Amino acid sequence: MNVLLVEDDEGVARFICSELERAGVACIHCVDGDEAFTTARDQAFDVWIVDRMLPSRDGLSLIQDLRESGNETPALILSALGEVDDRVQGLRSGADDYLVKPFAMEELLARLQVLSRRAASSGDGSTRLQVGDLVMDLLRQEVSRQGQPLPLQPREYKLLEYLMRHAGQVVTRAMLLEHVWGYNFDPQTNVIDVHVSRLRQKIDRGFDVPLLLTVRGAGYRLGPESD
Amino acid sequence: MREVISSLTFRYIAKYLLVLSATVFLVMAGLYLLFSYNYFRQLSASIVEEQQTLELVYRGQGLAGVSQYINDQRETQLLDRFHYLVSDQAGNKVAGDLPEGTSYQEFERGWLGFELALLKWGESVEVDFIARGQDLGGGYRAIIARSFEQAVYQGRLVLATLVRTMVVTILLGLIGGYFAAARSLQRVEWLGREMGRIFRGNPSQRLDAEREKGQVRELAQIMNKMLDQTESLMHGVRSVSDNIAHDLRTPLSRMRNQLSQLHQDLPAGGREDVQQLIADCDSLLTSFNAVLRISTLESGSRYAGATEVDLRQLLEDVVELYEPVAQECGVELQLASLPAASCRGEADLLFQMFANVLDNAIKYTPDGGAVRVELVPTTVDGAPGHRVTIADTGPGISAEHWEDVFRRFYRVEPSRSSQPGHGLGLSMAQAIAHYHGGKVDLQDNNPGLRVLITLP
Repeated sequence: MNVLLVEDDEGVARFICSELERAGVACIHCVDGDEAFTTARDQAFDVWIVDRMLPSRDGLSLIQDLRESGNETPALILSALGEVDDRVQGLRSGADDYLVKPFAMEELLARLQVLSRRAASSGDGSTRLQVGDLVMDLLRQEVSRQGQPLPLQPREYKLLEYLMRHAGQVVTRAMLLEHVWGYNFDPQTNVIDVHVSRLRQKIDRGFDVPLLLTVRGAGYRLGPESD
Repeated sequence: MREVISSLTFRYIAKYLLVLSATVFLVMAGLYLLFSYNYFRQLSASIVEEQQTLELVYRGQGLAGVSQYINDQRETQLLDRFHYLVSDQAGNKVAGDLPEGTSYQEFERGWLGFELALLKWGESVEVDFIARGQDLGGGYRAIIARSFEQAVYQGRLVLATLVRTMVVTILLGLIGGYFAAARSLQRVEWLGREMGRIFRGNPSQRLDAEREKGQVRELAQIMNKMLDQTESLMHGVRSVSDNIAHDLRTPLSRMRNQLSQLHQDLPAGGREDVQQLIADCDSLLTSFNAVLRISTLESGSRYAGATEVDLRQLLEDVVELYEPVAQECGVELQLASLPAASCRGEADLLFQMFANVLDNAIKYTPDGGAVRVELVPTTVDGAPGHRVTIADTGPGISAEHWEDVFRRFYRVEPSRSSQPGHGLGLSMAQAIAHYHGGKVDLQDNNPGLRVLITLP
């Protein structure tokens, strides 16, 4: 994966870049908005990571300008402003995701992967999802493993669909709450874990290879391929 | 009425009136005494003088001269004159205009007092006299009397005036006092009511000191200053904790990221400790984020957007999210059939609020207990609103702690603090409710706790 990082704080930028590189993500760093605009216009990236507050041109107008020039590269905004209004404003400017500082590196990585995969698979009109021997029929809303039908509750189905669409990627709890339940909030306890372990009971019990894995300190990943 | 009468101002005015009346009464009485003393002194001096004259007349002209003198006096002086009685040794009247046989009241040094009915303007009037007896010589005895009717009359006049004036003064004073007290009471009540409203509601509101005058204005200004101070102190304490949370968040999350990197680099055997450290960091970060969230909600103005949130759907979603957790804890989660309801607000925040309360309810309900969620229409300040009730059958919270549990980081009893959590759930729920113009109340569920969330 190839990422453009627009961040005016050198320390933060260096840290993010080194972490991304450890995770196998190539990172190019720009310090201000104008420089970023030229770089993003001239080079192809999988994802832009844009800090909201920037010298010369702020993050939101940078993304807006790039979108107006016809560039549809997925963009993730990093910001210390985390209120609903700020998020909405950010997403309206054309960004695809919004992450509030400070953040866990796993969260950023997981979101980057989802963004790059989404871009790659957009326009995929397939009615069937498959991960290993687990198959989901999107039309009939049925799930089976090794041909054996698995009865799922509607919410479990949604949860599994999201995990299957992002198979092989780490999906954080916040992402699940946001996309499967549709709410952005901080649970006091790990309610998500209970839902995931129930789903795991249904899809992994009785099969040799576990598909739904817990990634410690980050979230979950639906197999089969490891990293 | 009773309140006004028992008010400080009224009692003060009544006391003042009493003292004033007593003073006026004493002064008038003193004046009257002085006046009567002088009057009687002059009166008695004139009688003594007249006695000397009469004695001289007797010595010069004998009884006939006295008789003549008395008749002259009677004719020349009509009003307020001397009256005479001259009697011989046997006590028979020989001259004078006073009747015989009047009963006298005897005083010292020959002074006498008596009452006599006189014809005055054709009417018989009882008149008081003061008199003195004297021996003229030759066995004749004379009594010279003069009425002090005028003094009595003046005394009565003074007394009547005094009583009328007093009655009018006291009556007017009390009426005036009543209105003054009612007014001052109104001011005090206004101060009390406003202060109560400010302390219960928004502490950044102030008294409208400019609409008042004098001391009430000064008092209102002082109270406003105290409110300023209280607010800035509260703000200071809060901003210290906010700043700590804010400043520690970034290094903490950096540390967490590095720990997580370390976790990946370590051989499988040594990962457990690091795992725990990461979990601790996460829990601290959650707590910091919650503190900052609460502060932002509390410091900002109320929700002003126009987004309608489907409350029924939202509650169903919250319950659905927590259903498996409740099952794991052996708690039955009951959702009453909900009426359709919607309110203006931010869905994420409302979800957070219900989730926090429900999370607590499930956490503190023992195995086999139940948590019930209800939604009923209600009225908020006269306007239609909604009340969401989340009731558990856990140990509950004793009423004395009901106010405290909304304070940040407050944990009630040891039994409660054995549960995981930051003591921020209810604070945040309350901050969110206030942000939407609603409130959170607690009630006893017998057994357990009932949380009532009211939203407009």
